[in-house]
Formats: sequence, structure tokens, C-alpha cells
Amino acid sequence: MRALTIAPLARLPVAMGVAAFLFLGLFLLYPLWGVLSASVLTPDGTALTFGNYGRILSRSFYRASVANTLMIGALATITTTLIAVPLAFAIARLDIPGKLLLIGLAALPLVLPSFVGAYALLLLFGRAGVVTQFLNSWGVPFGSIYGVPGIVAVYTLTLYPYVLLPTVAALKAIDISVEEAAQSLGSSPARTFRTITLPIVIPSVLSGALLVLIETLENFGVPAVLAEDMPILSVETYKLFIGETAANPSAAGVLGVLLIVLTASVLVIQRRYLASRRFATGARVAPPVIRTGTGWRVVATTYSWAVVLLALVPFFAIVVLSFMEFRGPVLHAAFSLKNYVELFASAQRPLANTLLFATLAAGAAAFIGVPVGWIVVRTRSVWTGLLDVTATLPFAVAGTILAIGLVIAFNAGGLVLTGGWLIMVLAYTVRKLPFTVRASSAILHQIDPSLEEASISLGVSPLRTLLRLIVPLMLGGIVSGMVLTWVTVASELSSTVVLYSGPWRTLTIVMFQALEGTGAGVAVAAASLLIAITLVPVLAAYRLLRRYELSML
Amino acid sequence: MRNITLEIGNGEFFTLLGPSGCGKTTLLRMIAGFTELDAGEIRIGDKRIDILPPHRRNIGMVFQNYAIFPNLTVGGNIAYGLKARKVGNAEITTRVADALALVRLQGYGERWPHQLSGGQLQRVAIARALVIRPEVLLLDEPLSNLDARLRVDMRAEIRELQQRLNITTVYVTHDQEEALAVSRRIAVMQAGRIEQLDTPEIIYRKPTSLFVAQFMGTTNVLTGVVERRTSGPARVRIGPVEVEVANLDACEGETVSVCIRPEALQIVGGGQAAPAGMARIEATIGRVEFIGALSRLDVELAGGMALKVAVLDDMAAFAKPGGSIVLAYDPARVTVFRRGAS
Repeated sequence: MRALTIAPLARLPVAMGVAAFLFLGLFLLYPLWGVLSASVLTPDGTALTFGNYGRILSRSFYRASVANTLMIGALATITTTLIAVPLAFAIARLDIPGKLLLIGLAALPLVLPSFVGAYALLLLFGRAGVVTQFLNSWGVPFGSIYGVPGIVAVYTLTLYPYVLLPTVAALKAIDISVEEAAQSLGSSPARTFRTITLPIVIPSVLSGALLVLIETLENFGVPAVLAEDMPILSVETYKLFIGETAANPSAAGVLGVLLIVLTASVLVIQRRYLASRRFATGARVAPPVIRTGTGWRVVATTYSWAVVLLALVPFFAIVVLSFMEFRGPVLHAAFSLKNYVELFASAQRPLANTLLFATLAAGAAAFIGVPVGWIVVRTRSVWTGLLDVTATLPFAVAGTILAIGLVIAFNAGGLVLTGGWLIMVLAYTVRKLPFTVRASSAILHQIDPSLEEASISLGVSPLRTLLRLIVPLMLGGIVSGMVLTWVTVASELSSTVVLYSGPWRTLTIVMFQALEGTGAGVAVAAASLLIAITLVPVLAAYRLLRRYELSML
Repeated sequence: MRNITLEIGNGEFFTLLGPSGCGKTTLLRMIAGFTELDAGEIRIGDKRIDILPPHRRNIGMVFQNYAIFPNLTVGGNIAYGLKARKVGNAEITTRVADALALVRLQGYGERWPHQLSGGQLQRVAIARALVIRPEVLLLDEPLSNLDARLRVDMRAEIRELQQRLNITTVYVTHDQEEALAVSRRIAVMQAGRIEQLDTPEIIYRKPTSLFVAQFMGTTNVLTGVVERRTSGPARVRIGPVEVEVANLDACEGETVSVCIRPEALQIVGGGQAAPAGMARIEATIGRVEFIGALSRLDVELAGGMALKVAVLDDMAAFAKPGGSIVLAYDPARVTVFRRGAS
């Protein structure tokens, strides 16, 4: 009897936890299960087999897709880290003019759509690219940026904030007295950096680097634009799924499972190994700026601004190019609004869809993510841990794979969702759930649990306490999570490309289709519009985002 | 936590005292309803409360960190529990004003918590807990975040307020001096059990276990053997030294712990006899530490046993490091604990 009763204080978290598990179970785990079972069933879906794995992996093309994905991921992770760590040191510890603006600009690539960056690179350095043609006209030979160099370059320039921000935070959190102690014991500044400072921040660096690796493994848009004939796991999965005519998408299932296994193992390493290795130094004040000579100061300033601005150049270029005239794919140096006229003539509905979906998903992600964040922070049990892991899982699942799973799961049977808008909003909500969960838990860690107890002991029920007292206190975090969700959903491509149907195209699909066709002008205009759509809310909510989202990387 | 049976009288100031992890806060949170009971009951009067959810218990609680709602003004904080009880607006206004006056914060209703000092936040927390007219007031280490001087003022104020309102109060602290100063009764807790439950004087002077003796301030703990009792008072032999004991509950030949507080030892001035009823003991002075009103002496008995002695300033003149000294003590203030009994 006693075992069946739930303590009064546990009722609310239990009820909300069960609801969250139902949602995640139905729209995350069940679809992923669909992908897994697709991979172990025969193409007609009648018998259990492991032959699909043999069939796919025996083909060198698909083996190469795994190898390419890992190779590009590893390269991009290394270049990102090499670029970001010195930048982080410069920002955290050196005297650089315009530091606040620099940090603000450095965070932007996180929210700007990376495939737009890839497209910009293509417009500048592609075969018919502006820079390529300019160089060729002067007789300078310029090779191709398609494939590895282009993809790694785009990843590096758009993902370096993942390493930069946690490293800056770690460097600022170092208690300066440990460095002073090292130096008073006779260690030179250089040796102190090597033996004390660097080891303390390494876990933060690696943790950011592993996030970069996950992003590269699951990214769809960048290789879709730049890979050309090079097989990449996320793109090949999509192509197989779209092309498969059999009842059971077994081939796409196999690649999907491989991709999930890769990303999930990296996520597990990132969470389990590094989380426990962070050194809490508990500095009350950030370490003072290191005084350097003018020479070093110039070097550091140049380097920092060069990296940050270089990462934004492609996006700036896109906006400039969008006001120029395209004839087919060929660019003419004349100012024109034609691209926008053309875009708005055909893409009003997609623009409305984009805004609608982003708003719905942001609302839904908050509605589910805030209670999950509250449960994860405030209650301790095996179930809470499981909920935490499940709610973080979308980070490790490529949008393409989740979308394929949703199609497999809700294509037939009791609940048919394919072809409508709901399945798209569900995919976005699930994918972006970690943002609202993380933002909520970040701010909840700062709200002492005794506030809730005080309210309850003054006679207010737990549910009303949560709604009337805690949610208002969490508002900054909730809004920042919603803004990030809104912005990233507006520029989402990987699951959209699998799930959209005729009337429910989004701006990203318009751009994607224009890329594949000949409408470069429309693509550039759509890309610029996407940049504007993502940038405006981020700039408006910049303070909140810095406080609750970027600090949690 | 097991086998805890407590009855707290109406209007009593009752303190749960013990080291961290002893279960005192857990017990308090059980009364408040934030920790579940596996078994047993808690009643207020005849009403069983452990089956009620915490927001229906009508208990006022003051938290260690005050738990002032940062998004509400001082007045809003105090009115919070009244609004939950659907008290009318006019009555809320008067009761909030009364509560502010009670904690001497008249006119602070419009201020925001971040404009207040720690001591003022403490008063707001108390006013907020009292304004709902709770049947019981719980205080969880309420003074631990204040500086030393304010702590002494606040504890007197809390005690005075409690007396004036005659509200049943359960107070949790790890500070034995604080507990002695405010409580009518104290339960000393350790490892989830109540070690001793009594008035402050008895707990301090007649601890029933070695743990309580050592937890309640400084004490000397010596190891000795009970002497064969022929005539006169009972004696315990500590090396070559014999100590007189008024109350002894141990067999002869048994090894026991002997406790005597530093201030129970007095210096007997040059060649004088010990005061009537007191026993005497000789020692060599090791170190003298002057700390103002008192001096602390480390002395050594014959046989090498160390003793701490606390003497008033005027007697400290007799204490010179290296010199020998005669100490007098009341055998009634020596407590003996059997080994293994505690």
C-alpha cells in the first residue's frame, strides 16, 4: 500500500515527468526505434535480417561515406580548436580593443545557418565564384574548394564558437592565485601557462571540441551544398531514403543507425567523461589582463579581429550579392532588387510557413522543456537521470535521421502525420528541446530551492508555486531558450528536407531548391532573408542569450 | 533517523542541536513536510499533520538563506501567504503593516529585497512566517549567515518576539552557545538519534554522554580507573593522580572517561586552602593564553595528563609558565562516563 502512494510533493514532478516521457517516447524514441528496425528487416519488411548491413557495407561507396564523414569531422574539430584556443586566450587574458563587440560578433556564427555560409563560399570560391573568376582573369590558378577543403573551412568558421565560448569561460574562471602560486614557486609565465593554466582549461576545450565533432557528423546542409560527388553519411542517408521504393527503407536505416551510433558515442564521451573532469576553481573575480608589449598586442588584436570578421564575411557577402543581378547562375555587377521581387513573388507562403513553424516549435519546446528542466534540477532519481539523457539525445540525432524515423513511424497505422505541418513542428520541437531544457536548468540552478519551499510552506500549492513564482523568476532563461529555438528552427534544413510537402515548404527549402536548379538569384535573396530572420531576434535578445545559453556550452 | 519521540509544549522554545549531518534539519523538514516519513506520526495538538501536504500544514518556516522572493517587494513577500489564504485586501494591508512593525521594519514595505541588509532580510523572513499566524514556527539555522555581533543581537530579538507572541517554536542550530542562550529545552542530536533532551543548564552541567559533554563547549576528557571505595567520596585514579567524584555509576577497577570543564577548575592562590567542599589537585603550568576577560591555561598533571583551565583575569596573575599550581574543583562538576556506554 505504502509503495503505491506518491508523496504529495512528488506528485507534480511525477505527473510532468510521465507526460514528458510520453512525448519523448512517442516522437523521439519510437521514431528512432523505427530507423533501427528498418535496418534489420528485409526490404519488404517481413523478415528479420542483418543482411542489410552486409549489403551496404560491402559497397566501397558507403564505406567511403563513413570514412569521409569521420575524416572531415576530425579535421574540422582540429582546425576549430587550433583557431579558437588562442582566440579564447586573447579574449580572456589580453588587452584587445573592442573586446565586448568582438565577443558579441564571435557568438553570431552559432545561430547563422551554416549551409548559407557554405553557399556563400560556393558563390565566392566555386567554379563560377566571384573570387575564382577574378583570380582566373588575372591568370592566378585557383583550384576547387568543393569537397574536403570547402566543407572543413565552413565548419571551422561557423563552429569555432563552440570551442571559443567554454574556453573563454574556463580561462576567466581560473583563480589567479593558482598561477601566482606557481610563479612564486619559481615557474616562469610560459611554464605556468603550460603546466597550470592549460591543464585546467583542457576539459572545457575538449568538451567544446566534441560538440563540434557531433555537429559536423550530423550536419546535412553544408555537405549537401559543397560535397559534390563525395559521399557523406547524412547526405547519402537522405538520398537513399528518398530513392528507396521498397516498403521498408532498409538501406537508409542502416546508414541512419551508423550515424546515430557515431554521434551518440561522441555525446556519451562528452557528457560522462568530461563533465566530471572539469576543475572547479571558483574564482570570485576574473584574472587580470596580462600586460604585453605593443608587438604582441598588435598580433593578438589582428588575429582576433581577423578570425571573427572572416567568419562573418561569407554572410556579409551573401547580403551584398543579393542586391546584384543574376542571369541564371551568372553574376553581373549591377545593383538590383530583382532577386527579392522574384523571391516574394513565389515564396510568400514559405516565408509565412517558416515564421509560423518557428513560433509553434518555440512555444512547444518551452511548454515541454521548462517542466523537464525543472524536474531534472529539482528531483534526484534514476528516472530523472533517464529523462535528462533522453532530453539531451536530440543533440546527437541528425535531423535527417529523426525525420526519417518520424516518417517510418507515422506514415501508416493509427496516427498518420506525414504530409502535414504537424510532423514538421514535432520534429523541430524534439530537435530543439535541449535548448529550452538547458536554458531552464541553467537558470534554475541559480534559484534556491528554498524559495519554492518557502512558498509552499506559506500555503501555496506546488503547481501554483511553479506557475506563479518560479516561472516568472525563470523568464530570462525561458525567453533565451525560446529565441534560440525560434532562430534555429527558422533556418532548419536537415529534417525539413525529408518532411516537407507541397504547401508546407519553408524558406530553407526554397533556397535549397533554387540551389539545385538555376535560380541563384532567388537562393541568394532567400539566404539573405534567412540571415535577417535569425539575426534580428538574436540581437534583440542578445543579453539574455549570453547569460543563459552561450554560457552553458 | 529512528526512534525519535518528542513532545513540545505549547509556546515552548525548543531547539534541535547537533553537528552537521546529525538529522536535526531532516527532523525540522519532516515537521514542515518537505521530507517524507517512512513511519511514525507528527501531530500538532490533536491534528495529525504528517499526512497533509506541506502547503496545508499552516506552519511558519524561516529558512537558513531566508528564501526571500527576489521578484516581490518586502510587502509582497509578507503578503504572499495571506494572498494564498484569500485574505481580503484591506486586511492584508493592516496585517502586513503589523508584521513589519513587529520586526521593526516600519515603512520598508515598498522596498526591494536587494536593497536590504542580511539582518533586515532575516526580519522580513520572520515577519513573512509569522503573518500567516502559524500554529508552529520553525527556524532552520536562521542566524548562520549573519556576522557575529548581529547574530547575538538577532537571537535575543527572536527570543523576545517568541516570548511576546507565545508561539511554539522549533529552532535548529549547530551552535551550542546560541542554543543555550535562547532555548527552554534542547534536544542534542547525533547520527539520527536524540542524545539528550533537557533544559540548557542540565545539558551543560550534567551531560548524559561523552558526546554531549564534548559537543557542549570545551571540556577535558581524561582516562582513569575507578578506585576501590573504602570510605569518603568515590575516586578515580588518573595515572598517579586521584580525582574525587560526587556521582559514580561504575564498578571498581573499571576504566572510565572523566570529564571536567576548564572553568570548573579554579586556581588556589599562594598557600591558601581550597574552598569548602572543593577537592584539590596539583599541576605544572605549560602555556598561558591571555584572551581578555579570561586566561586559558594548558597545565600538566603528574604523570603527564594535559588539562585545559579557564580562569578569570584577576586569578591569572598566579599563572606563570613553568610554575607549579594548585587547582580546586567541585567533585559534583566532574562527570564520569563508562567506556562503551556512549
